[in-house]
Amino acid sequence: MSAQPKPLLAADRVRLYLTLVPYLLEHGQVSLDEAAAEFGVGREEMRSMVEKLTVIGLPGESGYWQQPQEMFDINWDLLDDEDVIEITNDVALRRVPRFTAREAAALLAGLQMVAAVPAVSDSGLVQGLIAKLSRGAADAPAEVVVAPTAVDEVRAVVARGVQDGLAVSFTYQAPDAAPTTRTVDPVQILITNGQWYLQGWCHLRRAMRTFHLDRVSAPQLTDIPITHRGENLPDAFAASADEGEVTVRVPERLASLLGAFFSADGAEAHDGTVVARLHLADPRGIKRLAARFGGALEVLEPGIARTATREWAAAGLALYHQPDGGDAG
Amino acid sequence: MAAGIPAEERLTNLVVALMATEIGLTKQQILDNVSGYRQRADAGARTDALEKMFERDKDELRKLGVPVETIGEASDPNDLREARYRIPQAEYDLPEDIDFSPAELAVLRLAGSVWSAESASGDAQAGVRKIRALGIDGDEPIIGFAPRITARDAAFAPLQEAIEKSRVVTFDYLKPGEDAARTRHVRPLALVDYEARWHVFGIDVDAEGDRTFLLSRIVGAVKMTSTSFDPELRLGAGERALAGLEEVAANNSALLEITPGTEASLRLGRRAAPAVQGIRVPFVDVHIFADELASYGPEVRVVEPVALRDAVIARLRAVVDANREVSR
Repeated sequence: MSAQPKPLLAADRVRLYLTLVPYLLEHGQVSLDEAAAEFGVGREEMRSMVEKLTVIGLPGESGYWQQPQEMFDINWDLLDDEDVIEITNDVALRRVPRFTAREAAALLAGLQMVAAVPAVSDSGLVQGLIAKLSRGAADAPAEVVVAPTAVDEVRAVVARGVQDGLAVSFTYQAPDAAPTTRTVDPVQILITNGQWYLQGWCHLRRAMRTFHLDRVSAPQLTDIPITHRGENLPDAFAASADEGEVTVRVPERLASLLGAFFSADGAEAHDGTVVARLHLADPRGIKRLAARFGGALEVLEPGIARTATREWAAAGLALYHQPDGGDAG
Repeated sequence: MAAGIPAEERLTNLVVALMATEIGLTKQQILDNVSGYRQRADAGARTDALEKMFERDKDELRKLGVPVETIGEASDPNDLREARYRIPQAEYDLPEDIDFSPAELAVLRLAGSVWSAESASGDAQAGVRKIRALGIDGDEPIIGFAPRITARDAAFAPLQEAIEKSRVVTFDYLKPGEDAARTRHVRPLALVDYEARWHVFGIDVDAEGDRTFLLSRIVGAVKMTSTSFDPELRLGAGERALAGLEEVAANNSALLEITPGTEASLRLGRRAAPAVQGIRVPFVDVHIFADELASYGPEVRVVEPVALRDAVIARLRAVVDANREVSR
């Protein structure tokens, strides 16, 4: 909200007018602040756009000036004295325009994405909305398909907890750690890169934590009402102060893949490679990410992280040096 | 110059003028009468410059989804000297029988919030705004869920535009294991987010067959050619693409041995079917699956297929090589 809205291009302003006019006609009197928030522009930008609406009108016949009734007009006193917008004469643009192909495509893909959210799938509204958006588009949108994700028992129980405001308990198995039993006030389910994460207040750690739902088992919905809500929702992958730092080097073209795993800061690009500092609770945990890059990522610091990475891959490699049909345990 | 009139004012006046006419306006009428052109003409701007401006404006409006119709001469439709232009109200208006319930608006607001890319996010918000302009106020927002779509591949936007325009594209495509990228000519039909990766599904013009390409393997720029194709080809393409990927996954599976109680057993176990010795996990792309399996180090061993096994071994070896002991 505090972010400064970006300046609009001419096309953005035209698009805004085409929706602003029917919006104002539908709502009667609207405060400047409300309209500015609705359209995502600054308050003074909105004022200036409404003022300029009054130079829009039907074309004049050659040699004649346009007549007042052929132009848009607003209640100037209301705007100047009370910062309230009201259209007093309208000449066109009364109806809401169709969706552009891009608008429809963005919403259609979003709908497929949220279809897996239990609050949405329970509503049974998605198919009807897809039909309405497709029919309401000015041009056929480019088809943008989001493959459906399955909702297993863990996801269903955690989602129930979010919706009902009840704590959930489960077994959590973090990589390279013993399983723990957690009770969590669920605040939000984050779905990104095909993975589901629960963010919430962990009763054991007495802090906001992010849990990867693939690592959750034996989920139980408790009857304990939650006492922590989203007041301090952390950035899911943000570094905390007590975490260690690992310095890695990757080719620049692959650097964006780091962002999906950890928050990287202070990355420096040089000759097509990037040196990035990543934050992990245990620096040795970098071994899994490093191995995923298959040698394209080099762990520079600290030494224990580099060693852990090398030994991790070497141990994996050793599995293939044994005769076939080894221990299947 | 009478350049005091900004472009948005001229464009909006043009929309109003073209909507107010049933029979259409000729180019000359527009240049003489519509505010924004009229003042420039009066100030002595050249007609061909104004005509060019009108052509650009027309394209701009079409990009905004405004249906500017050209009515040519009946005897010669290609003769545009006497062409008339209008915006048919029925094609401009959101059809009156499409309405949205407050519950539907709440779902759409969540759907509109998923894009992290700025342009798609702006488009989604603009769409939601149109529905709100109908006078619909939503139910309580759906909270507690934050689904996100990322589309950071540079190829995404040009491919989307080419699909909209039904135009053939060319791009260089680098398959893992090949030394050099190969130039492909493709009729792009749909973009597909599958297992958190963007794919473009289309018809490879040279191979004359359906193909699916990973956006992350496109090297350099996607170029849109002037060759167009029948938009009918796009119908149902998304479903075909998805079915194709699912078929590949159904026909490709790996036999793996995993150590119980590890990250590998948790993550792979969810996608697996039990096998006589180990588990079977379906996959779509050998190289992407090999990346994941390498990350599990000694927690997983690939029994078959051989190509996957070799790919994992090569990765692990490269990791060891890249992180040799350093003397300090």
